[in-house]
Amino acid sequence: MQRSAVLSKNRFPDFFDLLKEFGAVFAPRRVSQKSFSFKQVDHPSEIAFEALRTILPPKKFFFQQRETIISYDKDGVKEVKPKVAPQVIFGLHPCDLTGLGIMDKIYAADPPDPHYLTRRKATLLVGLSCMPDKHCFCKAMGTDSPTSDYDLFLTDIGDDYFLQIHTAAGQSLIESQSELFGAASEINKQGFKDFWTTRDQAFPSHFESENLPAIMDLEWDNKIWDDLGNRCLSCGNCTPVCPTCYCFDMVDVASLHAQEGERAREWDSCQFVGFAKVAGGTNFRPGPVDRLKFWYRHKLHGFEDPHGLQTCVGCGRCTESCPSGIDDIVNVVLRLQGKPSVLVTDTPKAGGGSSAGGCGSSAGCGAAGGTCGDAHDNSQSGYLQIERRGDDSDA
Amino acid sequence: MFLVRNGEKQVNECSPLPSIAVHGLTGCAGELLVILENLEKLIPYVWVSSFPFAQSRNDDDDRPVDIAFIEGSVSQPHDLARLMKIRAQARWLVAVGNCAVWGCVQRGGCRKEPVDSMLTATYGADSPIQALPSTPLDQHVRVDVKLSGCPINSTQLLAVTASLLRDHLPYITSKPVCLECKLRENACVLIENNLPCLGPITAGGCGALCPTYGAACYGCWGPSEEPQMEAMATILQEKGYALDEVMGRLFAFGAPDELFDRVKRSVPQA
Repeated sequence: MQRSAVLSKNRFPDFFDLLKEFGAVFAPRRVSQKSFSFKQVDHPSEIAFEALRTILPPKKFFFQQRETIISYDKDGVKEVKPKVAPQVIFGLHPCDLTGLGIMDKIYAADPPDPHYLTRRKATLLVGLSCMPDKHCFCKAMGTDSPTSDYDLFLTDIGDDYFLQIHTAAGQSLIESQSELFGAASEINKQGFKDFWTTRDQAFPSHFESENLPAIMDLEWDNKIWDDLGNRCLSCGNCTPVCPTCYCFDMVDVASLHAQEGERAREWDSCQFVGFAKVAGGTNFRPGPVDRLKFWYRHKLHGFEDPHGLQTCVGCGRCTESCPSGIDDIVNVVLRLQGKPSVLVTDTPKAGGGSSAGGCGSSAGCGAAGGTCGDAHDNSQSGYLQIERRGDDSDA
Repeated sequence: MFLVRNGEKQVNECSPLPSIAVHGLTGCAGELLVILENLEKLIPYVWVSSFPFAQSRNDDDDRPVDIAFIEGSVSQPHDLARLMKIRAQARWLVAVGNCAVWGCVQRGGCRKEPVDSMLTATYGADSPIQALPSTPLDQHVRVDVKLSGCPINSTQLLAVTASLLRDHLPYITSKPVCLECKLRENACVLIENNLPCLGPITAGGCGALCPTYGAACYGCWGPSEEPQMEAMATILQEKGYALDEVMGRLFAFGAPDELFDRVKRSVPQA
């Protein structure tokens, strides 16, 4: 099988048409000043090539936000078959591809999920290289280069894209219009290598991850979890945005019409107080501290289950979408490892604006300009002392 | 005391269908309008025993009913009397809308000013009008289902009715607005625009309507389950919103006092 090819950037529109022949094309589109979203695109000009991370990860194409699983009426229960059409997801970065690989493992495990797998099989995954920003830490998590979970991968080597071809589906797409592609020359191959070397050195944030599971075990009782958890809003933003959070809630929706209804599943979050509540009112994770720590453990250590997967892929979505700034995984890990680190919970407004700052949102202070400092001076302490939570859990 | 009738289904002499009543106490009639708009869908399955808002005469029927929907807070003595009467005649009592579930803006207002001074300032010293500090229904009677909203969501109303017609309590979560906002893949107005969005502590159900159009959630559906008030206050304060303003926003839609205890205790009084 041919393993690589080269596509001239000015032929990209033709390549895009080729993708469209396979099915509807979804790619990152800009939805606000700072945010992107995987949406359907009809023309290459709509694609935001600069997008590093979308609000929701590509799991939404296979594990949908809400979908009906079964319907029932007086004659019995029917499985609802997913509506599936061929589709292409374009512009997936290595972290997202790895994330999908993890989702594949979870949803293909016995008993396999027909909704997820049917959609997955009808989809062509086309990756795209990227340059990391300060929230990216895929290199630390070892998910920084495309390995197995793609059909085609495009690396930007200047005037051309270097194509890695990984599957028969990717191969046949290339062959269906082979005049569009050239064979990779030695110069192209060198360009490819140079790109990935440059990228490897471009990570502003990094940590050593070899000892991560051990660290998570050792530091289970670290005070850091109380500090972070007490700032937690329990808004649940960290889980829908995570490429590998796969939990859902099931709801039975009765119809007004007698003897009829449906069962639907909808994304849920372990950060909600009701998530671990069981009959009789017991809650295994009653406070935000318990819930946040649980989530961190799943991401950085993995569950004690047959998969045993460390599920963080280093995309930085949680860091970027946490309103209180507590999903700063890089700094949390560095702190647990006893290395230099800066956390939002560090003594706030430690006179003279230490690097810790007092502000939760990475975007917050910069954008708010002077108002932020003014606000801090409004009260005596300039900061709300948060009492320890978890007192309700002791009851 | 009120009479609990949670046993046998009420058989209405006018119809073999289960019966409903729709009542409004002190509120804006928003939920009544939502129910009215959806009445056509309900009519095939229920007998409407009483719906004063939708009737041309003021017929406050007090026959027993299967489901009584009540909008509005208890803000006047006659609200309370009516509530007691309705409760005594209803198998299921459903509080609809923020006013009935939390007390809404009138309860928030009663925190700022004593109700007597507001009454005097508005109607004069010798007005015959009587007022009580506004309270939600569950401070007076047992409420079987709380369906918040401002106004309520039609789909939820129909689902709640469908559940009760099958004799089981509906599953109403009060997961935060943030979940619905993320499911719609909106850019976060709290993070990107530094707006004082209360989505993290407000119960969803609206479909994240305000943030979808770029506005901050102002909490009109009432608090989510165990809202993290202190964290919310901290974060809004860090974004430049003065604590008074933050508290005002959190108070506005009638959330109960206890939610704020920790916030208040942790802040030095000016």
